[in-house]
Amino acid sequence: MENISQIGVTTIRKEAWDKVTGNAKYNSDDIRPNTLQAKILTSTIAHGLIKSINIEKALNSKGVQAVITGDYYPALTGSIINDRPPIAKDKVRYFGEPVAVVIANSEEEAMAGVNLIEVEYTPLPVVASVTEALKPNATLIHENLGYYYCPDYTVYPVAHTNIADHVKIRKGNMDLGWSESDVIVESTLYLPKSDHLAMETRNTMAEITPSGIVNIYTSSQSPFAVKEELNKIYKIPEGNIIVHTPLVGGAFGGKAAIHLEYLAYLASSAVDGRMVRITNTREDDITISPSKIAAEGKLKIGATKDGIIKALECTYYIDCGAYADTGPRMAKSIAIDCSGPYNIENIHCDSISVYTNHGYVTSLRGFGHGVCTFGIERLLDKLASKLNMDPFDIRIKNAIAEGNKSPTQDIITLSNTGNITACLLKLKQVMNWNEGNIIKTDKGTIITKGIASLWKTSNSPTNASSGVVLTLNDDGSINLNFGASEIGPGMKTTIAQILAERMKMDVENIHVFMDVNTQITPKHWKTVASMTTFMVGNAVLNAAKDLINQLKEIGGIALKCSQDDLEIANQKIYVVHRPDIFISFKDLVNGYQYSSGKSIYGQIIAKGSYITSGLTPLDKETGKGKSANSWTVAAQAVEIEYNPENYSYRLLKAATVIDAGKVINPKAARGVVMGGMSMGLGLATREDLIYDKEAILQNSSLRTYKLLRFGENPEYIVDFIETPQIDAPYGARGIAEHGTIGIPAAFANAMSLAVGTEFDTLPISNEVIWKTKTGGKYDSF
Amino acid sequence: MIAFDFEYYKPDTVEDAVKLYNKLNSNGKKPIYYGGGTEFISMARMNNRYTEAVIDIKGIPECNVHEIKNNKLIMGSAITLTDISEANYFPLLGYIVRRIADHTIQDKITLGGNLMGTIIYRESILALLLSNCDIVLQGSKGKRVVPISDICDKKIGIEDDEILIQVIVDERFLSLPYLHVKRTKHEKIDYPLITMAAIKDKNRTLISFSGLCEYPFRSLKIEEILNDSSLSKKEKIKKVIESITDKILHDIGGSSEYRKFMLGDILSRAFDKFQEVG
Repeated sequence: MENISQIGVTTIRKEAWDKVTGNAKYNSDDIRPNTLQAKILTSTIAHGLIKSINIEKALNSKGVQAVITGDYYPALTGSIINDRPPIAKDKVRYFGEPVAVVIANSEEEAMAGVNLIEVEYTPLPVVASVTEALKPNATLIHENLGYYYCPDYTVYPVAHTNIADHVKIRKGNMDLGWSESDVIVESTLYLPKSDHLAMETRNTMAEITPSGIVNIYTSSQSPFAVKEELNKIYKIPEGNIIVHTPLVGGAFGGKAAIHLEYLAYLASSAVDGRMVRITNTREDDITISPSKIAAEGKLKIGATKDGIIKALECTYYIDCGAYADTGPRMAKSIAIDCSGPYNIENIHCDSISVYTNHGYVTSLRGFGHGVCTFGIERLLDKLASKLNMDPFDIRIKNAIAEGNKSPTQDIITLSNTGNITACLLKLKQVMNWNEGNIIKTDKGTIITKGIASLWKTSNSPTNASSGVVLTLNDDGSINLNFGASEIGPGMKTTIAQILAERMKMDVENIHVFMDVNTQITPKHWKTVASMTTFMVGNAVLNAAKDLINQLKEIGGIALKCSQDDLEIANQKIYVVHRPDIFISFKDLVNGYQYSSGKSIYGQIIAKGSYITSGLTPLDKETGKGKSANSWTVAAQAVEIEYNPENYSYRLLKAATVIDAGKVINPKAARGVVMGGMSMGLGLATREDLIYDKEAILQNSSLRTYKLLRFGENPEYIVDFIETPQIDAPYGARGIAEHGTIGIPAAFANAMSLAVGTEFDTLPISNEVIWKTKTGGKYDSF
Repeated sequence: MIAFDFEYYKPDTVEDAVKLYNKLNSNGKKPIYYGGGTEFISMARMNNRYTEAVIDIKGIPECNVHEIKNNKLIMGSAITLTDISEANYFPLLGYIVRRIADHTIQDKITLGGNLMGTIIYRESILALLLSNCDIVLQGSKGKRVVPISDICDKKIGIEDDEILIQVIVDERFLSLPYLHVKRTKHEKIDYPLITMAAIKDKNRTLISFSGLCEYPFRSLKIEEILNDSSLSKKEKIKKVIESITDKILHDIGGSSEYRKFMLGDILSRAFDKFQEVG
């Protein structure tokens, strides 16, 4: 029986028509009568003691139902270190930290209430940088750091300091590495904080029903973690918590952190469980909710005169802001992949998470990998230049390959890592490298091309799990239910394609439950780390196996033959050597009825699950361990045109060649990689949360916080290599974050080449170039 | 979401609008005249602007005039930047307004709003300063028509209850050689680091700037330097920059030193361009 392949074929996403017609429903579209609205009063200083809060006037304000402060049900939260009160108690640690929440009949009444609260602070010295935070006798942001409970037992906060964690990689023999090196190159970097800027700002509704059910409606990448954390922090029986997540309007890691959910729950509990909605404005989203880490780094690399890298020493300081959230885990990511996709035998890396009085942080597309990629890729260009080597040659020469060891001493295989050399070679072609990487035009401008390789692994918990449940309709079509939130890349459709491929049926006949409801949806750890295709994909293949077994079992009875002789395709079960003998799914899904009318078997429900296996924590002193099952590698390039006359530039091209293992949905894959490059160019050229000396955020609105806008994009090129990952569904690797990771480094490499000055700080604006070239003083001729 | 309530009025005549203003003002409502609302709405939601009554002037016929009559271009204050751009009677002004905000907002921002707003750039004034347009105003003390140069010192200064009804530009200016250069931190559409507008009138270069200082301006002193044929190009630029005695903007958009550099660069290009025009 013939069937058409369902993967490797561009497939319109299941929710496409709803999205393009505006019919798609996001969390804020869920408008219900009798919903109260909450607004947050935020801290106006970055560090200080709360001397007093007067809520009297707000409580008496029209429409206000309740006002809660940090004294209301105090508790500490945090996925790695329990260091953050949802509402500041006694002390504020960043500008924008919630100090009180006003719950009112309407949003305007809640806002009016917020304006009536009077707070007095006793300012404390502000820790406005990593350097200040690490000084001896630095002001402590968390004086009780040594006493905090750490849900992640592999994190090591240092009491009486501002250090949240310290990850070490000690691989090989550094003395040997340096002694074998003919040249040594050093470098530093600084990458600022930036924001996610998902189109849909964070928003949550909560209610507590009279029967004790806590309903949380939230725009989240981690609905199951919301349930688990609310259980742990507020001792609500987990089964009483139901988290509902419809389509999510972009997330980029920012909605992996649990933030407004705590506030909405507390707010609802303060008004007898009535439904309370809390929605960030854009300014709230930038200021109150967590953003991307900032990082400082110092690197040193040694190589032979032939360009073989012998040693790498690097130190990264990760600015986690006021609360750790996933900061330490990102610092760990930076350490475990600090070498980039290169074989380096001797590595000494320290990655240190530091508290400051900046806004706190969480994952942002790439999970720290942008930092180590920037570090190593800038360093490689400097090394290549010193050795008078081509940037491609030095990368290909050192490209990691089967049998090498990762910084955590994990064995590299083609299957678990893919083929970076193939990516580089293809990139060289698509960027027309042979014409040169620096071209002077007749107009007096200079066109340059910069490249960067990258690799990324997931760094997920050692027990992350995922489940799938399949039910069937009377027409033999399948309902697919799993717990990943559809945050934009079309993964609900990807998983449907994988199921359709295994079931040898048309993806049109697979119906996806688009939302997540933690009571009826099987758990998926979190929709993060580019792991959905891998984890849910494996779970759905297991579910398909279960379904096929059940269908064959009952089909064998119906067709009066051995199950071993049966095969499935096109929603039919047929006898392998006699395809004309078959029975359709529709005649089996609710049991099989004999011609006599007697029925057997009953409704078919299939299930499948997946758990990450074989992962181990890293050794505290050497970093040895297995933190992931696989990497994805890619090579990226940026082409710019620089005008030396007025120090300005424009973007011409950005390219990515990624080893996707297997491309499931080609246009969707292109889209996600392209979107990633767009974000990368934003980080490279303009995105920057600017704090003043008192750690007050200066650009908290889109008037002043700039991102790459539509129409400013260069030409995008996306290409794929397909080296299958054996344990992944049809070989497919994660590709969701990778488009972002190497672009800033490739851009900085192109820029450094064009300008003739090394750029080790982002973002690079025209003014930055002018300052670098002229010293920032204007001499009028 | 705007946290406070305010009343909304849309009078049909200037007289009614002015009367309303004074009545609401005496009732302590802190009224404001309202055009497209882009500034008021975006600032009120952040508690940066407060009023208890807005008086929408878009229903007043005189404020919606947009025509050339008796050798004069008449532009009502309620016409939008999109209107200006599409009719394009005054190409220099057309260029300027097409670089203010994105298209959706250009459809809303009115000429009056851009001229009278609190956001400091007010770029459409650049073309009006160069053509020394007449401004038609009306308040409780009556109607008056004044050259913009008489009332514009850093911003257009008018009585609280006065409505800016129209702007009248001598048709002669519409076809003069002109130049418009806008530099921003990154984007095509953004607040300016510097916007420069210039026209060449009878061999004299007239020039105005936004983004350089905390207000848009035309400086006769700068024009004198530029039109001094005894000075070389380099000398002119040096003197122009030295002649700016007020504080040059220094903010997260760009440093004052960088703005100075940018000014030199823009002027240098302007000379070359105008030389081409002849």
